[in-house]
Amino acid sequence: MAVTELVVVPSTPSDDPGPGPRVDRSTRPASRLGRVVGSILLVAFALALLVPFFWMVLSSFKNPNEVFSVPVRLWPETWHWEHYVELWTDTGMATWLRNTIFLSTVVTFLQVLTGSFAAYGFAKVRFPGRDVLFLLYLGTIAVPWQSYMIPQYIMLAQFRLTNTLLAIIVLQAFGAFGVFLMKQYFESIPEELSEAARIDGLNEYSIWARIMLPLSTPALASLALLTFVNTWNDYLGPLLYLRSKENWTVQLGLKNFVANNLEADYAMLFTGLTISVIPIAVIFLLGQRFFVEGIATSGLKG
Amino acid sequence: MKRKYAVAASVVVAASLTLAACSGSPEEEPAESSGPVTLTLSGWSLDITPEFQVLADGFKAATGNTVELVEYDPAEYNTLLTADLGAGAGPDIITQKEVKYVPVFVDGEQLLDVSDVEIPDAVSGASSYEVDGAQYAVPYRQDSWVLFYNKDIFDAAGVEYPDGSWTWDDYDAAAAALTTAEHFGTYEHRWQSTTQGFANAQFDGDIFSGDYEYMTDLYERRLAREAAGYQIDFATSSANSPTYQGEFGKQHAAMLPMGTWYVASLISQQTSGEADTFNWGFAPIPQVDDSTVDKPVTFGDPTGFGINAAIDPAKVDAAKAFLEYSMSDEAASLLAGIGITPANTSDAVVDAYFAVEGVPTDDVSKFAWSTHETLPENPTDANTSAVQTILGTLHTEILTKAKTIEQAIADAGAAVAAL
Amino acid sequence: MTSAVADGIGTPSPRRRSKLVLRNTLLGWSFILPNFIGFALITLVPVVSLFYVSLTDYNVFGKGEFIGFENFQKLVADPLFHRSFINTLYFAVLHVPLTIVVSLGLALLLNTKLRGVAFFRTAAFFPYITSIVAIALVWNLLFSPDFGPINQFLRFLGIENPPGWLTSQDWAMPAIVIISTWRDMGYYMILFLAGLQTVPRELYEAARVDGANALQRFWNVTLPGIRPTMFLVTVLLTIASLKIFDLIIVLSPGGTQAPNQATVVLSQFIYQKGFIESKFGYASAGAVALFLVCIIATVVQFLINKKRSA
Repeated sequence: MAVTELVVVPSTPSDDPGPGPRVDRSTRPASRLGRVVGSILLVAFALALLVPFFWMVLSSFKNPNEVFSVPVRLWPETWHWEHYVELWTDTGMATWLRNTIFLSTVVTFLQVLTGSFAAYGFAKVRFPGRDVLFLLYLGTIAVPWQSYMIPQYIMLAQFRLTNTLLAIIVLQAFGAFGVFLMKQYFESIPEELSEAARIDGLNEYSIWARIMLPLSTPALASLALLTFVNTWNDYLGPLLYLRSKENWTVQLGLKNFVANNLEADYAMLFTGLTISVIPIAVIFLLGQRFFVEGIATSGLKG
Repeated sequence: MKRKYAVAASVVVAASLTLAACSGSPEEEPAESSGPVTLTLSGWSLDITPEFQVLADGFKAATGNTVELVEYDPAEYNTLLTADLGAGAGPDIITQKEVKYVPVFVDGEQLLDVSDVEIPDAVSGASSYEVDGAQYAVPYRQDSWVLFYNKDIFDAAGVEYPDGSWTWDDYDAAAAALTTAEHFGTYEHRWQSTTQGFANAQFDGDIFSGDYEYMTDLYERRLAREAAGYQIDFATSSANSPTYQGEFGKQHAAMLPMGTWYVASLISQQTSGEADTFNWGFAPIPQVDDSTVDKPVTFGDPTGFGINAAIDPAKVDAAKAFLEYSMSDEAASLLAGIGITPANTSDAVVDAYFAVEGVPTDDVSKFAWSTHETLPENPTDANTSAVQTILGTLHTEILTKAKTIEQAIADAGAAVAAL
Repeated sequence: MTSAVADGIGTPSPRRRSKLVLRNTLLGWSFILPNFIGFALITLVPVVSLFYVSLTDYNVFGKGEFIGFENFQKLVADPLFHRSFINTLYFAVLHVPLTIVVSLGLALLLNTKLRGVAFFRTAAFFPYITSIVAIALVWNLLFSPDFGPINQFLRFLGIENPPGWLTSQDWAMPAIVIISTWRDMGYYMILFLAGLQTVPRELYEAARVDGANALQRFWNVTLPGIRPTMFLVTVLLTIASLKIFDLIIVLSPGGTQAPNQATVVLSQFIYQKGFIESKFGYASAGAVALFLVCIIATVVQFLINKKRSA
């Protein structure tokens, strides 16, 4: 498939028709067909993906009782833009957003840094007990958080961390997921590169910083994005640890806002949800580049 | 367990991890035997549940002691409270939101024995907090289930208001007569209690018996009403998740069996414009036959206050004083004044309740509010949660028509026997 | 797996060897330690304590005593546990292959230079960033048996009795698999996209020169090239599927009450026993069972992976 076409070069008609790179510059009808089929597939996919999302956004403009009308209606009867204003004035949305951005950023930074650092140890250094240790890491992924959240809470309470944002940071930042992900990518980077660097006199830490990290941009970008989204959307963790309103995150604030309104105001809820999704969508759009900047191009030629 | 964590903690400190010393647990002030005491009390949705603040203010005025409220998420109340109690950061006074968790707290030795707290005669529901002959909490409010009805829709359809003598036959007939293109005759929410609560109370049901034959009649009626289109069917209700406040408040349904807590909500929603403006009242819930019309049989669980077993001993007396205060005529009248149904229903309290702006004052509503035999929805027993889960399955199976009533009852019986 | 330090020529002397081992151990640990300190404290300690708790009759407040394997004996005979065990496997068996196929297909499609591909990548990722609450509300409506758009469409196609989806016993789990795949595919697509970047383009060139067609190139170049990613995705996805919790909780209110417990899963069983019924020791035994299932599945995948890459 078209893995290779991702180098940033200006698009030419001979570009990849979708299923598989082209052999030569002659335009075969099959490839045109492939391109059309690919596009149609994409549009169909996108529609299926986005319909529920559109419904959420459109519902934020509806009158609250219209949201669950029978039969289901997509388009609002009357447009209620005021929900977006009300959300800012009637709730602590600004505080919630600030907390959530702070948490997501710090957690992402720590997870990417310590995760990729540890992954190098697991992927590129051989020492006794390494594999057992790695299995231990993996093992913890296999235990549902709900089953040990209470002992964990009691322990963190002993450290006087409950009701602090720091609790959420330590909870999220040292997960096994990042280590596992980065280890897999480091293993796919040819050892010859490191060997060449060692001959040049680089020590292991410099190799990690100057060879490994630049070569695994897509993986780092993926890990950063997924960590950010996870922290952003986490509900149970903040719910358990954050009691006071000034520490609330967006998810917690919205949930409470709905619970505190006698009639669940779904229109307002969807307004909040829409607002909570937008920042991530923007980050993702901006980060596009990094997912498709292969190491394949830098190759082994230099 | 605790020791293990303590060891872990000391290891960490040895590793000189800098920890932000800021914790959610209230700072223990050394309470002096004289002078005012500050107690903490758990509550939920404080913005729309004013009862805690009302009691705290009244208590302060009466004794000079302060009660600080700690807010929890209502949906996860027991989980969060459990975590805090386990961490030794629980409140001094623990509000018992659901009776079925009382055995859990008692079993976990989290509640103080408060048998020496005086319970007035006019208070009902105290037995729900008795475990092995000792009292572990006291009720301050006792809701019971009644039938709300929309007088305007009744008038338009020419149907007689419920007069306190209705049986389930009358209810079925009214549901049929009230159904039009605009609205359903009645709305029954998705909770299992909307059918089982009445079956348990009126058919002498015992949820631990494993024999649920007695539920058949009310389920058959409900299925018949749903099939005839007199009320929204369970599957649609599950898919569209309507709120009962929306269904009745927006006049999508003419009748609504619901707990008396809804009175206060409905009044405030009509005031705020969230609900339509229409005339309404409430009547005793329909009965099996006319033998119980003098004292209609219904169900409901109390809400109560217990005391944290780990409370600072210097505060115990003040906490018990608060429990006593919450059941007094004075406190009950204050609660009644904001539309809450207190556990204490002495005459003074009844008057206070029906003096509230917006509460229907017709005789049937008054009768329904003050005269009833209310059986507990959740008997206080260690197995209640497990059995209610099984009965919840039975409820869903019958109403989604996954099984016949007979089959679902047999399966639930087998599951309870296996506990 | 290659060693960071060459073993030299021939067999090194034992003394040099042990020095080498020591040096590598220190080196390895120096990389792992910053993450490990946080990980051990926050995750490892509570998880290990879980194994001890499973041998006690602790309630949720940590009061109780050691009872040996009694919890596990009870577990084996518990019909709710059987039900949730079977459902969990059922969900995983449907969900894992479906999600792999869909997300890999998406990644391949979005790794091209078709017009608007950046927008589509974002679109595919949208379900994953949308809050679970919204997902539950929306899909419950879409799947509504009588009025939902999905069944209206099926009726339009001439299907007389479309399934009751989330309210029916047979279709509840497939419905949840569909929603879950819809939600997760963006996530795994990202991982596959990153993996596709690691396949050297020279290999494609070479394959093309050899006259391999698109399918052959996919089979002989792409798939071997993304093996580490495929392994990563399979392991993560398997564990995530076996642990599924939040989606089921929000989609079938009362979860354990869905028709005939058609959707009750292991993590829900743990939650129910631990928090609702306060049998913390018993719930921990359930968690240990779930842990063992995950570990067995992971080790099997490890072995297959090792064999393949050998």
